Amino acid sequence: MPLPLPYFLVLGALMFAVGAWGALSRSNAVRVLMSIELMLNAVNINLVAFNRYLTPSELTGQIFSIFVITIAAAEAALGLAIVLMIARRRGAIDINKINTLRG
Amino acid sequence: MSLQVVAFAVLAALILYGSYKVVASPLITHSALFLALVLVSVAGVFLMLDAVFLAVVQVLVYAGAVMAVIIFAIMLSEQREIGGDPSAQRMGFGEELRRALRSRHWGLLPAAAAALLAVLAIAGIGRLAAPAAPGAASTSVADVGRALLTDYLVPFEIASAVLLAAVIGAIVLTAREGSDARDGGRS
Amino acid sequence: MWLIPVLPFAASAVLLFFGRRLGAVLGPLVGAAATGTSFVLSLLGLLALRGGAPAYHAQIRWAEVGDLSIRMGFMFDKLEAAVVTMVTFASFFIQLYAMGYMRGDAKYNRFFTIVSLFTAGMLTTVMADNLLLFTLGWEIMGFASFSLIGHWFEKIENAWAAFKAFVTTRIGDLGLMAAMFLLAAQAGTLQFDGIFEAVEGAAGAWWVTLAALFLFWAAVGKSAQLPLHVWLPDAMAGPTPVSALIHAATMVAAGVFLVARNYALFEASGTALDVVAWVGGVTLLFAAVVAVLQEDIKKVLAYSTMSQLGYMMMALGVGGYAAGVFHVVTHGYFKALLFLGAGSVIHALHHEQNMHRMGGLFRRMPVTAVTFIIGMLALAGIPPFAGYYSKDEILLAAYEANSALFWIGSVGALLTAFYMTRAVVLTFFGRPRDKHVFEHAHESPAVMTVPLLALAVPSLLYGLLAPQLLGQPVHQWLAFGGHAAHHEPSSFVMAVATGVAVAGILLGAVVFGVVPAASRKAVISALRPLYTVIKNKFYFDELYQAVFVRGTRALAGVAGVVDRYVIDGLVNGAAALTVFIGSQTRRLTNGFAQAYMLVLVGGVVLGIIVFQAIGG
Repeated sequence: MPLPLPYFLVLGALMFAVGAWGALSRSNAVRVLMSIELMLNAVNINLVAFNRYLTPSELTGQIFSIFVITIAAAEAALGLAIVLMIARRRGAIDINKINTLRG
Repeated sequence: MSLQVVAFAVLAALILYGSYKVVASPLITHSALFLALVLVSVAGVFLMLDAVFLAVVQVLVYAGAVMAVIIFAIMLSEQREIGGDPSAQRMGFGEELRRALRSRHWGLLPAAAAALLAVLAIAGIGRLAAPAAPGAASTSVADVGRALLTDYLVPFEIASAVLLAAVIGAIVLTAREGSDARDGGRS
Repeated sequence: MWLIPVLPFAASAVLLFFGRRLGAVLGPLVGAAATGTSFVLSLLGLLALRGGAPAYHAQIRWAEVGDLSIRMGFMFDKLEAAVVTMVTFASFFIQLYAMGYMRGDAKYNRFFTIVSLFTAGMLTTVMADNLLLFTLGWEIMGFASFSLIGHWFEKIENAWAAFKAFVTTRIGDLGLMAAMFLLAAQAGTLQFDGIFEAVEGAAGAWWVTLAALFLFWAAVGKSAQLPLHVWLPDAMAGPTPVSALIHAATMVAAGVFLVARNYALFEASGTALDVVAWVGGVTLLFAAVVAVLQEDIKKVLAYSTMSQLGYMMMALGVGGYAAGVFHVVTHGYFKALLFLGAGSVIHALHHEQNMHRMGGLFRRMPVTAVTFIIGMLALAGIPPFAGYYSKDEILLAAYEANSALFWIGSVGALLTAFYMTRAVVLTFFGRPRDKHVFEHAHESPAVMTVPLLALAVPSLLYGLLAPQLLGQPVHQWLAFGGHAAHHEPSSFVMAVATGVAVAGILLGAVVFGVVPAASRKAVISALRPLYTVIKNKFYFDELYQAVFVRGTRALAGVAGVVDRYVIDGLVNGAAALTVFIGSQTRRLTNGFAQAYMLVLVGGVVLGIIVFQAIGG
């Protein structure tokens, strides 16, 4: 018998939580970006699962996921370009040292 | 046990362990590799959910291109953490966990917040009126393509524009950086 | 007739602006002229009333406050006639006298300005037809008294004496205000006739008694009765003409006048009348006792005034309306005389006021001495002097009402004669005790002796001639309501009154004239504790200082602490709290992206919880 929906949703939730934890607590910028990718993937799992179980004849979830992947890719590229620039100027990618926007 | 359950269990284990390692691993190169593992496993999950096209796109774009970019970034930036601290590689699980949980500025707060999030989400899921049986999957790659170019044409075009902007942005950012470096590294 | 109070007002204004320019002679004459004219007018009014003219009454509309229509007006009936003639007469001669007494004083002009202002205030009060105008005059007098007591404010004690007078009478003035509010509320009007009408319908009602007591409290303050008497002896710090005018003849009499004016209120409440009588009785005795041991000649007169005012209050309290008011008038004449005489002595001795340093002045200052003795005899109540008639009436009324008060009054009369004789003997007779002071003594200039003589006349004759002047027996002229409170002349009372006065004089003459000083000192040592208590005026001042002054200061200290720490603390605390909150909130914008994300996640979590809780 096929797997009930909650399994996938729980998987997605846990993966999202791990990603959130990583994004909030790590100090290396690249690691933070990777955590963000984790979160996005978790979201994708959710979307596809819902799509498969609730509206199997439509494609809304999958299309949405495609766009998520697209944007994630663009964001990863740009984010890492910025990380590189900062690394060049300051020699470190410690997020905690990049706080010139402090108020 | 059915094949489905086993497959799901394996994939889930890989995903969760992998994500944990992405965050907690002391060496960032290990993190990157574990991320790749996670991405591929996610593609597996997609397959389980009959999203074939999506699985392939996941592998191609995420596990392929994005990973490449990440590894490049690591290579070009973090001299220190690539080689790394030899003793760091010998850390046990407990030690690693302990180190990972404590963030530098906020202590256990991020972990707690994330845990709380998870708890709430799972609680919500528990209350879901879940449809037990999935209906028959009736989509194919052709359907995806058709949908992209008809119902979702506008987002499609916008996504293209975003990608273009990203490419141009990346080039502009790094190119300027490059010319500055050529001018004697004045920053 | 309304000119009577207005003329002195005008004079005061003129002196205020032009006094300096008018100079030392013309200035005071302006004031005196105004007052003198008022006197003439009042005399004419009196004669008119005698001839059967109706009481004069003039009013103008002043203000409308809600339901209350306040009209201001002056009235002149028999009561006013008697009092106003005395006030203007005394004020006129006192101003003349002051021209001599205050010569060379640096604040000469200020003095006369305020004296005129004061006269105006007194006349306003006496002639007012409503309680509001009455109070206005009352307050003016309070201010003038304050200014004049503190005339020589270079000496800080004088300033404090003025302050003490003002504050003490102010405590009394609260009674006036309370009474005004009460009466306005209950009777609906502040016009005297309106109030009396309302009272008639409600004799014995709670508000009648209360209002009467409030009014009496104000009178207690102004007339220096116990317990608000403490300011009067200290008020002697002012120049002697001031003491004569304000603290003998007029202002202190205003308290008695207050009771007399509102007699309808008092009659309607038996309680209030009893209070008046007993307060008067106790004060009269107290003051007479203390006066016996005073060294300063002015203080003797001050306590004497207090005592006589007690007599007046007592008289009113036992129903002797005519007696009390009559005594106001006679007392005004002879007390002013006595004060001016004392002033003459003081002036001649270069401001020496201690009787123990005087003596033997009779030959040096005959006019002063003789007039002073006339005043003394009047005060003691020897016939045919004026004081005898009024005091006799008072004792008669007391005798018929309450024998205890009668005996108090008699003992008081004995003491009065005794201490006045003592004053006369110590001052004018015997051997001069201080040679140096004695050398300077000389008779005062005419400008001062003439008023003395002028005042001696009514002191001597007023009692005898009043019926002729008024056209009817005094008790008929000053009848209150329908009834002429006529008491059958009792030979017993007459005998007691005269006997007591004569005995007092003889006793005084003997003790102070004949008995050697050493024996007197021996008696004093024997009775040392009693002597000390009396000498210290029964420690009233000390008591008040400890309780009220210290108490108020302590309260002020507490209030200060509360203000500084609690109230300021609250305000400053609020400011500090705001700053603190701001500084903490500021830490949110620290530039750490992860902090922002943390907040984000936190917000999401919170949102989920809230959403669940609402039941989404």
